[in-house]
Amino acid sequence: MAEERSVSIEVVYRGIFQKTLAQRICRSVVLAARKRGHTGTAFARYGDSPERNGVPAKQFAVVAADELELEASMAKYEPSVVDVSIAVDDTLVKGVESWAWYGRQPIWKPVRANGWLLVTSDKKPDEVLAQTDKAERPYTLGIVPGGASFAGLWVYKDDHTDFRVLGALAKILPQWIALDDAKAASLELAKGDQSAVASVQYGYDATTMRRVKDGEGTSGHEVLQFKKPGWTKMRPGVIVEARKPGERNPYYKKYGARTMRPVVNFDTCIKCTMCWLDCPDECFEVTPEGHYEVVYEACIGCGICAQVCPVKDCIVMVDELKFTDNKDKWQLWKTDHSKYNSWFEDMSGVSADPKKGASGSVPPNANPAANAATNPGADPAANPTTSAGGDE
Amino acid sequence: MTTEIMPAQDLPQIKGVKDVPYDELFVSGHRTCQGCESALVMRHMVKASGPRTIVLGSTGCMYVANTTYYTTPWVVPWMHTQLGASGSAALGTAAGLKVLMRKGKLKNEKINVIAFCGDGGGADMGIGAISATLTHKDYNCLVLLYDNESYANTDIQLSSQTPYGAVTTFSPSGDKKRLMHTRWKKNVPGMLAAGHPESRYIAAGCAAYAVDLMNKIRKALELGGPTFVHTLDPCPKGWDYHPQYSQELGHLAVETGIWPLYEVVDGVCNLTGPTRQIAEGRKKRKPVYEYLKRQGRFAHFIDEDVEHFQAQVDKMWTDWLIPGVIPFTVPAKDVAILKIDKKPMHEQKTA
Repeated sequence: MAEERSVSIEVVYRGIFQKTLAQRICRSVVLAARKRGHTGTAFARYGDSPERNGVPAKQFAVVAADELELEASMAKYEPSVVDVSIAVDDTLVKGVESWAWYGRQPIWKPVRANGWLLVTSDKKPDEVLAQTDKAERPYTLGIVPGGASFAGLWVYKDDHTDFRVLGALAKILPQWIALDDAKAASLELAKGDQSAVASVQYGYDATTMRRVKDGEGTSGHEVLQFKKPGWTKMRPGVIVEARKPGERNPYYKKYGARTMRPVVNFDTCIKCTMCWLDCPDECFEVTPEGHYEVVYEACIGCGICAQVCPVKDCIVMVDELKFTDNKDKWQLWKTDHSKYNSWFEDMSGVSADPKKGASGSVPPNANPAANAATNPGADPAANPTTSAGGDE
Repeated sequence: MTTEIMPAQDLPQIKGVKDVPYDELFVSGHRTCQGCESALVMRHMVKASGPRTIVLGSTGCMYVANTTYYTTPWVVPWMHTQLGASGSAALGTAAGLKVLMRKGKLKNEKINVIAFCGDGGGADMGIGAISATLTHKDYNCLVLLYDNESYANTDIQLSSQTPYGAVTTFSPSGDKKRLMHTRWKKNVPGMLAAGHPESRYIAAGCAAYAVDLMNKIRKALELGGPTFVHTLDPCPKGWDYHPQYSQELGHLAVETGIWPLYEVVDGVCNLTGPTRQIAEGRKKRKPVYEYLKRQGRFAHFIDEDVEHFQAQVDKMWTDWLIPGVIPFTVPAKDVAILKIDKKPMHEQKTA
């Protein structure tokens, strides 16, 4: 490692929600490295522009020993191999489907052999690894404590994710980012707020590491790779085949952009059609009984259905990392009612029996959404059906 | 040989949510944001118009996000047209169909032509072309302007539809200058309705009131001729709110009176939905603060700014000849000679 002349770090984040957060992380890396006399640059990937809410995007920080080295490593406008990949939302380990390519890629794809994958999560390393694609080369998985921070675009709701990540980087790349430099840089970024320094130290101390060997991880995720047509196959005038009535676009499924997914209690559903009517992603399909079931492959997890549903806790938004597949669940409800209801309760932390209110059991992996109040099961505003509990 | 106007589609009004057509003509698998209201507008638009529709898309979110990488969610024929050319494309397509049918190269049948544009491509760049289109009364085409109040596709720049004081990448709020954008939103549907007496249908809608919007689109297509519908679409990307509140913000925009819903049919203006209830005094207008406080783009507002915003909206409801449509009134001495019987529509202040 001593003869390394440059280091590349990427931040994989949820577009728009975490754009400002990713910017701050990349800037803080370069600022901290400069204090050691290194030089560096932070930039966003052109291929991700324009960003969309929730669709994964990337920003980079490249740090080098001197200007010449930086020029050399910047010859590629986007590093194809990175030393460290940072995922600031743990659901990104299920794979990355961005604007910049067709299909789904494993989160560790650009990480070099024996590199690092840092994930901000409140879960244990093994739980995160269980949802990560099977490794093809060894790397180290680091879990930076803290939920996914959807810090916002214009209004940056600061929760020090950036400083905790910087502390974790100081732990794994001490030759580039010394802990003292990281603290000094964070103090500048936080305009003198001492708690930033404490957060850097916390990230340094509390980040848990786990070596991942070849073949560790899951092979349960959909591959979702496509053959590109190439210019010889394209029809003149750039004509694209229209979809057939009743089919869905097979080349882009939206689940890669999802942090939470809705689960439906068919027993309390009053068949009012609101979820189906107001879903911008056409992901509800009517069942013979007139209920609406979610097609999980098409759902981006925006939460509008849970918001417009007039029945309390009929549609509940649940952390995406609790699910291992996108299979349709309505069949299960048809064939085994009680099994479905216990699955619903297990996932949502809400009683499936309409006579009981919320059971109050907090799911262990609740993922804080834009605001802490939308923690499923954590408080009654988890599934707000009124304007109360909004994100003011 | 006389040319006749092509017959318009027979599209009955939708009576309620249970009556909404089930078939999707804009299917899942588009790269729009979480909670994108404009995608919902596209979905409702083709739901309302049915399968015999040609859609033309001017550059903007709904073109770029829906046709990324050689794949598409459109079931109906769709073509891209340039920024600002939605009016021209609509007119040209309608004229082309008419000629092909006259020459017997196409079966003489009812085909809807809908061109959509964003607020940048329609209210800023394309307004001249849309205006010209609305004067050609022999061609059946609908121009739908989906308005998310910024150039949201290219990462949120200021447009003429951006509301007073909102933050965009072109109007950031700073220490020296709190409000970079101090122009009031341009009144596009009102302007087009006032200026194009031969257009049979011009309306303002919102996808949060889905059935109302679908009925407006159906009415426009049924009446025929060049028509125009303007929708207000809450945009989680540029407005900076959690995507789950898209519907709620649509409702609030209407309930606060900021975005009146109306239609101008053959020169008769009907207020619709909650706007009608507010005008009748059956519903109190909510304070605009309810709407502003939920969006990150207004987070820098101080009381003074909210008061200014409220005053402007109040003025629209108390002073305008028709709220949201005609932004002036006449002096008292002329009321009689102009036969204007303007009763105070709404004397109450907000709830």
